[in-house]
Amino acid sequence: MKLKKQIGFAAALVLVGLVILSTRFNEVELPVWHFLGGGNGPDPATLHLRGEFVESNLGAAEGPAGSLTVRMIAQQFVFVPQCIVVPASVPVHFRITSADAVHMLSFVGASYGLKAVPGVVTEATFTFDRPGVFKAPCHEFCGSGHFAMRGQLEVVPRDQFSSLRPGERRTCEPR
Amino acid sequence: MSHDSQSARLRRSVRWLGTLVVLSLGILLILSRMDSSTNASAQAGDSEPPLRVPSNVAWTEETLAIVSNGDAFHGLLLARRCNHCHGEEGFSSVPVFPNLAGEDRLSFWKQMLDFRSGKRTSPVMQDVAAGLSAQDAADLAAYYSMLPIASDPQDNRSFPQPMQTPSQASIAIRLIIFGDGQRGIPPCQSCHGPVSYVRGAPPLATQNGGYLQEQLEHFSNGERTNDINIRMRSIARQLTAEERTAVAEYYGAGLGPGGNSR
Repeated sequence: MKLKKQIGFAAALVLVGLVILSTRFNEVELPVWHFLGGGNGPDPATLHLRGEFVESNLGAAEGPAGSLTVRMIAQQFVFVPQCIVVPASVPVHFRITSADAVHMLSFVGASYGLKAVPGVVTEATFTFDRPGVFKAPCHEFCGSGHFAMRGQLEVVPRDQFSSLRPGERRTCEPR
Repeated sequence: MSHDSQSARLRRSVRWLGTLVVLSLGILLILSRMDSSTNASAQAGDSEPPLRVPSNVAWTEETLAIVSNGDAFHGLLLARRCNHCHGEEGFSSVPVFPNLAGEDRLSFWKQMLDFRSGKRTSPVMQDVAAGLSAQDAADLAAYYSMLPIASDPQDNRSFPQPMQTPSQASIAIRLIIFGDGQRGIPPCQSCHGPVSYVRGAPPLATQNGGYLQEQLEHFSNGERTNDINIRMRSIARQLTAEERTAVAEYYGAGLGPGGNSR
């Protein structure tokens, strides 16, 4: 009967949709209501002048009660800071925004992804279990330099983290 | 199952669907009002590091309007003072002085304002820029952006200069066209043209090698810090000294994409 065929087709579509969505499980996109409510995020043109994404505030910052926040900017065609260091087995709050196009910060080997959208701050909390060095390529086409756009994530043991560069935001950028 | 009850069932399910759609839209709207982006400032753990601003210039509607309204004729008159170092046709005769012909208006204007505010340092340019207003800088930017970049054998210009180490050309070509994904270095041509341009990035096709070399070194060792959002510093730090020299010489020889090597 025609109705049964339609219902069956719809069910198949829903199933395919669920399969596709399941591959996005660890990729943090922005919920759609972010856009319905209108922009209340930072102006991408003035990130360097004021607010929490000024360049002196980018990197890993320890908050109260040992919480850790990492702030980054995605732009064409570098992630800034290009090298991020975080402690292992500690929840890390990532806050990222974009200065121009849509990028996605992804971590190879950890299957996480954070979409960076201009005008909005994307936040997510990840925990990295094992120490190591992970590549952080851009996972959303952002222009002609997208395929060379890559940062680096270093996960160090907890005790090593506290001693890195006190007094400024922690990165592993060469000085 | 008569025909009537089936259509009645269909109508009922359509009504349910419609109610569901309307309800979910309403919930989404309510959630969008409720959602407050948490501003994670005021960290009691780490103290706030001292504020460091690379440049006072931001690409807002106001600044873009100022630069777009530059008067090129007034720039021509002002440029008489600039021609001593930067050449009568915008091509300087000294390799460490930049060529200004065909320069992008936005990047020119930004550099002049950064010299004025001291965000970019130079023994010569800071005093020069102090005597020019923002409107003057916009006028000069308009003038220089219109100068032709074609080669002129009669002009006393230091561009192009043949490469001192031509064997490095392959290193330069690779970086300019492909960058280095392993280190996260984007290709020069994706920001500096001609493949694509990023706002504020000057075209490099007809720039002097000596000037480029000096600027890349200054970006990498922290002497120059006026790039917005640490972009050029991150890239220049990843390059080795040999690569900086190779790329600078390659562009300075007019071999870069869009260049004229005569």
